[in-house]
Amino acid sequence: MSTAVRVEVDADGVERLNLELRRLAAEGAAEIVVKNPRSRHNLAVGQTAPVRILVDGSAGYYCGGLNAGAHIEVARNVGWGAGEAMAAGSLVVSGGAALGTGASMRGGALVVRGNCGPRAGVCMKGGTLIVEGSVGYAAGFMTHAGDLIVLGDAGEALGDSLWEGRIYVAGAIRSLGNDAVVVEPDDEDSARVHALLAEHAIDGRFAFKKVVAEQRLWYFTSRNAEAWLRI
Amino acid sequence: MSRDGNADPGYARGRSHVWTPEIIRDIQAKADLGRYQIRGFSTFQRFPSLDDLVFLPGVMTRIPLEGYREHCETSTVIGGHDPAHVSDPLELAIPVYLTSMSFGALGANAKQALARGFSRAGSATCTGEGGMLPEEREASDRLIYQMTPSRYGLDLEHLRLADAIEIVIGQGAKPGTGGLLLGMKVSEKVAGMRTLPVGVDQRSAVRHPDFLGGDDLQVKIEELREATDYRVPIILKLAACRVLEDVKVAAKTGCDAIVVDGAEASTAAAPEFQLDHTGIPTLAAIPAARRALEELGLYGKITLIASGGIRNGVDAAKALALGADCVAIGTAALVALGCNAPRYVEDYEALGTAPGACHHCHTGRCPVGITTQDPELEARLDPEEGARRVHNFLTATVMEMTLIAKSCGKRNVHNLEPEDLRAVSLEASAFTGVPLAGVDWVVGPGLNERGV
Repeated sequence: MSTAVRVEVDADGVERLNLELRRLAAEGAAEIVVKNPRSRHNLAVGQTAPVRILVDGSAGYYCGGLNAGAHIEVARNVGWGAGEAMAAGSLVVSGGAALGTGASMRGGALVVRGNCGPRAGVCMKGGTLIVEGSVGYAAGFMTHAGDLIVLGDAGEALGDSLWEGRIYVAGAIRSLGNDAVVVEPDDEDSARVHALLAEHAIDGRFAFKKVVAEQRLWYFTSRNAEAWLRI
Repeated sequence: MSRDGNADPGYARGRSHVWTPEIIRDIQAKADLGRYQIRGFSTFQRFPSLDDLVFLPGVMTRIPLEGYREHCETSTVIGGHDPAHVSDPLELAIPVYLTSMSFGALGANAKQALARGFSRAGSATCTGEGGMLPEEREASDRLIYQMTPSRYGLDLEHLRLADAIEIVIGQGAKPGTGGLLLGMKVSEKVAGMRTLPVGVDQRSAVRHPDFLGGDDLQVKIEELREATDYRVPIILKLAACRVLEDVKVAAKTGCDAIVVDGAEASTAAAPEFQLDHTGIPTLAAIPAARRALEELGLYGKITLIASGGIRNGVDAAKALALGADCVAIGTAALVALGCNAPRYVEDYEALGTAPGACHHCHTGRCPVGITTQDPELEARLDPEEGARRVHNFLTATVMEMTLIAKSCGKRNVHNLEPEDLRAVSLEASAFTGVPLAGVDWVVGPGLNERGV
């Protein structure tokens, strides 16, 4: 099989398109171009092979969802839940992304060159989410682990109810969420962020604010009643 | 009137129905803690229940089957209506499976025992929200993988190992709130599966991170089908609240089965007021769910599963007669395992309770080793002995169901219908549209007007 394969998105939808992508990858395709994606939902979900998938346009909801190894690039924008529950591989979006980008992702790298809507990195369990633009409200909500790096600004309620996720923001933060606190990044943080950005050829030579959990909501005991009453 | 307490015991106890001893204790506990009280088990409210219905076996106008000789079919299929989208529907030998209870809420021995017991009965278990425990996958012939808003341990490989996928929109024990697992049970293994710090008081999200309403959920279901090759059924679990409307929206998502989880449903930990004051009883939820599906022309296509306070075969048979295709049980199976058994009584006493009244699942100090992550307590539950007891209980449950069905003249438990029932309370008649016993009139709109 040739290394590059073109797949047209059917006008009726994507049903079983992902099976076709998996079949092509299993047959040895190194690169698959999805032509005329028509902003369809569920493009390139549940892929396991380390194949390169190029979506030649915009995608709808859950693009690259449940990804477990593919390297997916989207030429334009994506809808809700891009890269949700991704465990490995990568998803690079050249344009913007809507709500819940990288929701509950566990590994791999997700890069959005433009802006993200609300709840970017919500419930993340690992991996790296890089947003070159700005993020909307409640980014990093209940983020368990992993790194959310924002080169632009962050909206309201950043890092609400964080667990052990780390959020780095270069621009302005409109407001912090419950139990989120800004701490001074140390040298290790800077090295970490710059290394993660360098993996995607992004210049990270500017200062970041680091946001982590203050841990006042981690223990449901009477000593934290005041903290719990706020929410 | 005498003010002598001996002459009037009610006066001596305090006779206020507003400021009862329970309310006084609750206020004083809140004053100590600075928060609402949290506990496990089910509601302590007295709701009109399935006990308010009775069966009408055949007499002169119906012919019963021979209860101890003739066969009554119990096989049940979940998600069998749409082969184009579900190549492998979930086929059960009996219309009873194990509801979602997480590893975390339960210990690993309990999960294994339940999986073996239900597998021997030809039925299924559900992972609950803590992710897929390898021991449970191995022990369960049919395993439903649960996807909750917090997405703990959500994994493509596990989705593909599942025999069905259940998306939780809400649970009857605590509608409108997420899971709760107190730090005593967030062991290293539990925390690892959930990507949490060890020992934190885990509170879970209630809203899913990547969809909000029915239209979005429809896309989500398509995603799961794409990821799992259109193999397994997708179940939506709903807390029973605005059932008529909620079930209609759920049905429009393209799911294969819907669970309505009534207010009697249990939990390992919830704010007490949630347990006691939210959601509607299972008795009211089943007819409303049936009506919703009938109005959409989807009754008999989308599988309707009832849960919440189903205790035995008679409850299960009543649920089927009202319109459910299947029931899911939780607490009944735990009690079969040994929950609230009179063993290790001193440990019940240390919790301030007693066998038969324990509701302390939230503490992780389960005296019989079921709802705990403490290795010493867990060792009190032998998975094989537990499996035997669970299997026995399921056998008895199905015997009850089939005997009732045969007494009503049915060769298949799924042929039970509302006409086989009568209500013995005004509330039950009003909730269900089933006529009152003896007088045969219905409180409120009747079966025909309700479309039941």
